[in-house]
Amino acid sequence: MISTLLLVGILVAIFVGYNIGGATTGPAFGPAVGADAISKTAAGALMSIFFFVGAWTIGRRVVDTLGRDLVYDPAVFTLEASVAVLFFIGVALFIGNFFGVPASTSMTAVGSIAGLALAAGELNWAVMGEIAIWWLVSPFIGFWVSLVIGRYFYASLNRRLAMDRSEGPPFEVDRSGIVPMPTLSDTANVREAAGVVLVIVIGCLMAFSSGTSNIANAVAPLVGSGELEMNPAIILGCLAVGIGTFTIARRTLETMGNELTELPLTAAIVTATVSASLVIFLSAIGIPASFVIIATMCIIGLGWGRATRPITVGEAVRGEESPPVSVGALSDDREGEELPPIGDEEEPERIPKASDLFDPATTARVVLMQNVVPAVATIGAYATFRFVPIFGL
Amino acid sequence: MVDAVLVPMDGSEMSERALEYALEVFPDADITALHVVGEPSPMWARATGIALADDIEASAREHAEEVFERAREIAADADDVELDTRVALGHPVRAIVDRAADYETVVIGSHGGNVADRIFVGNVAEKVFRRSPVPVVVVR
Repeated sequence: MISTLLLVGILVAIFVGYNIGGATTGPAFGPAVGADAISKTAAGALMSIFFFVGAWTIGRRVVDTLGRDLVYDPAVFTLEASVAVLFFIGVALFIGNFFGVPASTSMTAVGSIAGLALAAGELNWAVMGEIAIWWLVSPFIGFWVSLVIGRYFYASLNRRLAMDRSEGPPFEVDRSGIVPMPTLSDTANVREAAGVVLVIVIGCLMAFSSGTSNIANAVAPLVGSGELEMNPAIILGCLAVGIGTFTIARRTLETMGNELTELPLTAAIVTATVSASLVIFLSAIGIPASFVIIATMCIIGLGWGRATRPITVGEAVRGEESPPVSVGALSDDREGEELPPIGDEEEPERIPKASDLFDPATTARVVLMQNVVPAVATIGAYATFRFVPIFGL
Repeated sequence: MVDAVLVPMDGSEMSERALEYALEVFPDADITALHVVGEPSPMWARATGIALADDIEASAREHAEEVFERAREIAADADDVELDTRVALGHPVRAIVDRAADYETVVIGSHGGNVADRIFVGNVAEKVFRRSPVPVVVVR
């Protein structure tokens, strides 16, 4: 007989999983759906499959960290406390989905569990410190890698990936045989097909990385409390995510507010590859990673690297950019050439500069803002568990 | 007599009202619509999308064209012969305040965006009002 409270816990976990499915399908398959490479249903199916693979293989390490290592005594996860923690995670997801303010689910999860553990005096500071250090280091790795790509390789990558989509779907399904086989449609060429496959593959990679880091957010408190075994919990969580990918994800895929779709396709591919790789790496060592912050730092790095790109030797030789100024050129006013009178010249049109886009203070503010929701969740969880005496601590 | 008016436009209804107001109150002035692109966004994708373009200026103009088209329609309705348009990059407040000195008055809508913009950009009208070197009219 399942107690009512456990049932509530499972329902809240399903709700969280459902929202994760909705929130992560957009970044993963938004570019592919936007490029008409696959349908929304196919995106939902691929998302569910690869999320499960990620959760089943690597994701359990993060569940262990959140549900067992972060606290000295998993007994703090009473059913009441687990439900409350899941509630904080759900609110963070809701804010992200509803207001378009991306909030890291993983950071919120760690924050609320840390708040709970702190209130009960059971927080394992060594594990917490390790997680916090990786939270500081991983965005910088993403920033730096993307900066190098943006500065030195983006132009050639962009040429190589340039995808001129022709009308119509790129593949047709040949159902004449026993097994339906996708074949190139008449309007598509091989290069285009390769691009389409690449976008889909990267979507799958993102789905996999999401599974590795996000499954813990839905089920870790219940696993930590010992109410659910690891494997059934993962399957339950993945089912909930799957429902989300086929239902609310349709809407999140449609809203053009999705940030990654504002990027050119090449940039979306670079960002997705770098950040998904980092998230998978962190999950593999048991660290709950924040995709939102890593991806944001990748985007900033890519744009900033590109904005400060050097002129290549080839461009300089061909004279496409301004030629180098030789010594003395500045003072070398030729005779007979009239200087423009001072104060009477036409009002100069300020030429937009890329560096205007990356004002350090504003950039810092945006990155800081992304930490607000997890911070509020941490403090809220601590206050709730410390002063509201219904959690059996 | 006011000769040069700057109307920052973000494409919102409020900014269109600011333009209508400017046209009505300063019928003889030269009015310039300014649109700022690549403003801060939650994951910084707007700014990066423009920074990645081969020709940043052309990309910025392309983004701004939709807003300017609306602005020209409004100006045409008010029989303004021609509307100057300018595009700038980066943070809206900085871009507007930097250019305000070239004009005699700034006419701005009181608010533009949604919650996310409010959090990541702040209230542009309020900050322009505080920092502008010239008088500011805030249209409500």
